Amino acid sequence: MTRVLRSNLWAIGLAVLLLVLLGLTKLIQPSFGFNGLESLARASLPFAFATAAMAVVVIVGGIDLSVGSMMAVCSVTAAVLMTMMGWVPAVAITLLVGLAMGAINGSLIVVTRVPDIVVTLAMLFVWEGVALLILGSPGGTADRALTGMVRGWTGPVPSALLLMLICVFAVWWPLSRSKLGLSIYATGSDEEAAFRSGVAVGRTRVAAYAICGLYCAMGGLSLVMLTGIGEPVPGPYLMASVAAVVLGGVVLGGGRGGMLGPIIGVFVLRIIRTMLTLMGVDPNVTTIVEGSIMVAVVMLGGFIMLRGRKT
Amino acid sequence: MKRLMTSTALAAMVMAMAPAAMADTFSIGVSNTVQGNGWREQMICAMRTQARDSGMVDRLVVAHRNTDAAGQLEDLRNLIEAGVDAIVLNPSSPDALNSAIEDALEAGIVVVAVDQGVSADGVYILSNNQEEYAYLGARWLFEHIGGEGTVVYMRGAAGTSADNDRHNGFTRALEAFPGVSVAHEVHTGWQQDRGKQQMLDFLATGIPFDGVWTSGIDNVIVDAFVESGAPLVPIVGADNAGFVSQLLSVEGLEGAAVTNPGSVGGAGITLALQVLQGDAPEDMTVLVDPVLWENVTEEGRAMIEAAQNPNLDPDWPVSVTVPGWTTYTTEEIIACEGPA
Amino acid sequence: MTTETEPLLDASHVAKSFGAVRALTDASLTLRRGEVVALMGANGAGKSTFVKILTGALRPDSGTFNIKGRPARAGSPAEARRSGLVPVYQEPSLIPDLNVADNLRLGGTPTEPFRRWVAELGIEGLRLTDMIGQLPLATLRIMDLARALASDPDVVLLDEMTAALPTDLVEKVLATMRAQADAGLGVIFISHRFAEIAHLCDRASVLRDGRTVGDLKIEPGVEDRAVELMLGARIDLGSRAPGEAPPPRPAGPPRLRLSGLAAGNKLTDVSFDLHAGEVLGLVALEGQGQDELFATLAGFRRPTGGVYEVDGRAAAFGHPADAIARGVKLVPANRSEALLKERSVRENIALPFSTRMRDWGVLRMAHERARVAEAIARLQIDTRAQGEVQRLSGGNQQKVTIARWLAHGVETLLLFDPTRGIDVRTKRQIYDLVRELAAQGTAVLYYTSELQEVPLACDRTVVLFNGRTVDEISAAEADQETLMRAAYGLSRTRAAGVSA
Repeated sequence: MTRVLRSNLWAIGLAVLLLVLLGLTKLIQPSFGFNGLESLARASLPFAFATAAMAVVVIVGGIDLSVGSMMAVCSVTAAVLMTMMGWVPAVAITLLVGLAMGAINGSLIVVTRVPDIVVTLAMLFVWEGVALLILGSPGGTADRALTGMVRGWTGPVPSALLLMLICVFAVWWPLSRSKLGLSIYATGSDEEAAFRSGVAVGRTRVAAYAICGLYCAMGGLSLVMLTGIGEPVPGPYLMASVAAVVLGGVVLGGGRGGMLGPIIGVFVLRIIRTMLTLMGVDPNVTTIVEGSIMVAVVMLGGFIMLRGRKT
Repeated sequence: MKRLMTSTALAAMVMAMAPAAMADTFSIGVSNTVQGNGWREQMICAMRTQARDSGMVDRLVVAHRNTDAAGQLEDLRNLIEAGVDAIVLNPSSPDALNSAIEDALEAGIVVVAVDQGVSADGVYILSNNQEEYAYLGARWLFEHIGGEGTVVYMRGAAGTSADNDRHNGFTRALEAFPGVSVAHEVHTGWQQDRGKQQMLDFLATGIPFDGVWTSGIDNVIVDAFVESGAPLVPIVGADNAGFVSQLLSVEGLEGAAVTNPGSVGGAGITLALQVLQGDAPEDMTVLVDPVLWENVTEEGRAMIEAAQNPNLDPDWPVSVTVPGWTTYTTEEIIACEGPA
Repeated sequence: MTTETEPLLDASHVAKSFGAVRALTDASLTLRRGEVVALMGANGAGKSTFVKILTGALRPDSGTFNIKGRPARAGSPAEARRSGLVPVYQEPSLIPDLNVADNLRLGGTPTEPFRRWVAELGIEGLRLTDMIGQLPLATLRIMDLARALASDPDVVLLDEMTAALPTDLVEKVLATMRAQADAGLGVIFISHRFAEIAHLCDRASVLRDGRTVGDLKIEPGVEDRAVELMLGARIDLGSRAPGEAPPPRPAGPPRLRLSGLAAGNKLTDVSFDLHAGEVLGLVALEGQGQDELFATLAGFRRPTGGVYEVDGRAAAFGHPADAIARGVKLVPANRSEALLKERSVRENIALPFSTRMRDWGVLRMAHERARVAEAIARLQIDTRAQGEVQRLSGGNQQKVTIARWLAHGVETLLLFDPTRGIDVRTKRQIYDLVRELAAQGTAVLYYTSELQEVPLACDRTVVLFNGRTVDEISAAEADQETLMRAAYGLSRTRAAGVSA
């Protein structure tokens, strides 16, 4: 209960921050409205999936530096497959490819006992090469049905946001309630104690990386949906996902945090980017501002949590 | 398809109404996805300087960062939100940006793509002719080595459209010279240190070759030859300041620089302003053809000497203006100031 | 072994090597239903390797290991559990970031039996939604045991699980285990406290140098025999003869003076004086405010009332650095908080030499080396493992944390349960070290969870009960019964000043 409350408190705090930032955006640019929200939802889509992928491996006590490259592999796989077949089998195959890539990352870490940061750094280059082998330059195609899913509104919710929430939580919600989910938290929290409690630590880790790969596949698919093509060169999703995960209250080192916080964190980082563009801030200053805001929020959050624990 | 037609129609309507805004000043958005590269920095400075020099731009919103197509989609939507009259972008992909570009056109915004093209209808394209860039340099190199021998082919970043266009040009030249073959092909990723290391590694193998064609990573290749003490072979590069000065100063270096001005960005601003004032060009696509400067003939050396400017950033292209399209001076673009 | 029933657990001639190091050469253990067997051995005897094999964490190189007549499965604790052997470790194996219910779910432990056992073992008010990370250590150990018992095991292995338990909980644990054994459970019990072993066990199996050297029936006087077997030679347990006169009470102003000291609601009224050259014991059951007292004295938290003086000057420290600057140093119970585990013994002992900023430059090697070498020699630390402190045994690590101050010199030393989980020989060395520090003029405050240590290490002792100092007892009178009564807040036969 305390854990649920605590992680939710963090998420609620972030949500309030997001609302404040949205209000500020409206002040800066009075024309900012439904269109702006809809494009924010679309822009956040690949970042949200990358962040979900990173969150799972960080919770299990690891990190995956090949998130961006796996997304690129899945993006070109899907775009190439859709030139040959319908979108449903193409999406299914892409999801399997993502799952398999993640499982390979996890197995290498568990079997070789080489630190995760080294293995996934190596795999970053491997997957990057694989993506270029599949598609040497941007190309392929996306089914109209898919690209249509992320445009416009479904009722009162931007379609892109709805799709993202459904995909992320369709995996996360049952997982976090399953014994595997529990094992993931246990392994990240205290590997030795988890091992002694009967958790199959190695298999748990492989499963967490496989789920990371699955989210990367969704991320790659979202890129295809947004751009209509597959791109073999990885985008800037690695660092952005680590940033959102940390901002979202997941502890680097594992065991603590949820999925809601990081997802809201993605939107916070995106809206800051939008605000800075609208304000016409010097682009070279923008990244400094983004970094500073992140440090400030995480520090403030840590301070509040410390206070909360003392009373 | 229907959507495309509507947007084209809308764009036409907007263009028809545009002259009414003639006396006003405009706000222009800029989107670029590579940061910290001399060519792109010159492009941004050319945009800023030209916007200021025109006197017709009251607000220039610049989205300038390292990102991919999805990130550029986000930037484009932010620019639409910012309510600009025109967007000048260097597209990261020919097809991926269409959804945001269509939104912009629907909102009545003039869209100009510089450097590289996009496939969406209704977009003005102003770019250096990349295929011609590669063809020109490669043809000079193959002729210069007498139509016989092997060359090292140092490409740009794998998977980018400019690299693909240049590859087509290079291949076209190669087909015209059956006696020439490629000894070694690598992607430099347009990164200086990587390209230099690749050349050092290849020189260390001792495999003989007769020339080098580079996709703009050029001065460090000359450095690699000089540092490893290998005999120089003819080298083709771009008009980056460092390489151009090497063409004049390095003993025994024969080579050619092909112009690829980053200042097409400034030309893009001019084109956008022309369209906003109702003075659209007949053709939607405007190609700026490259020029080749070689250092083996008298007139070639004279051309290179005329283009030198000691104040220029060594990573910038030497050709800082596009005749007929930009109005600023060299000093102004070095100052790199946007509209007040 | 001619019994009518087959042994519950039978490990014989087990050997295990790590590279060139032979950790176990010939270890054996037999356990029948209803039996409690102690596994004994000094540090480095191979006890922990044997435990790892018994609990399935390691595979033996040779030998047989059967549970209920079938080869035991090795590979993981989960496998061992399926064979019927459930371990309870010295360090609790509960996940700090999960709550109680999730931890039970993780190991597939049924909730109701668990709750019953927790209550039976004397823990009140535990909720299934409590976060493990916020529960006290003693509660976690009890929960670990309750979890083991709730899974309906054939054999339970208790590895030093009583080490940091307060006396009342230890008694509960021992009584419960005896009752369970009488009902047919097999228990393997590992502890450094002879009293517990004598109280609980039927037999003791003794390991020395990787080999099982004896199987003793527990009867009066067996301690001497066990120690002899463990050490290979007779050693004297007590460092002071019972009749020895206590040192005269130091005169002059006290180094620390506490009067009515309070900090939060756990620590309400603590008064005592601590003089240079004396070792003052502190006796308390779990959770009587000793954690808060040490935290306050060492500057980790501010007092909320009362007087705290160091050398006659008020000392309301806001930061541990303030306390250190005034000569008050803490040796925490958790050794890893005080040591740089990846560095050498020498560097760890030399560490206080470089805490002053003007010493940040070149280390004064010759000076430092001489004093450190002297300290190591004094400690009798096994120098084979000098490379990294983390490769030392727990007892030797603790010696390093104390030796550091012997080399550096310290005015006031706060020792918090320094002998937790340490074998007898090392314990004795630690008592000697503490006495030596006091002889150098150091004022030592010595909290211990083992009552029989008090007469061995301390000159006098104060008793803390429910956040107050309730009694002061001289070393001569500090027999276990007296201390126990005081610690329980009961009056002594002698009239006590304060009662709870």
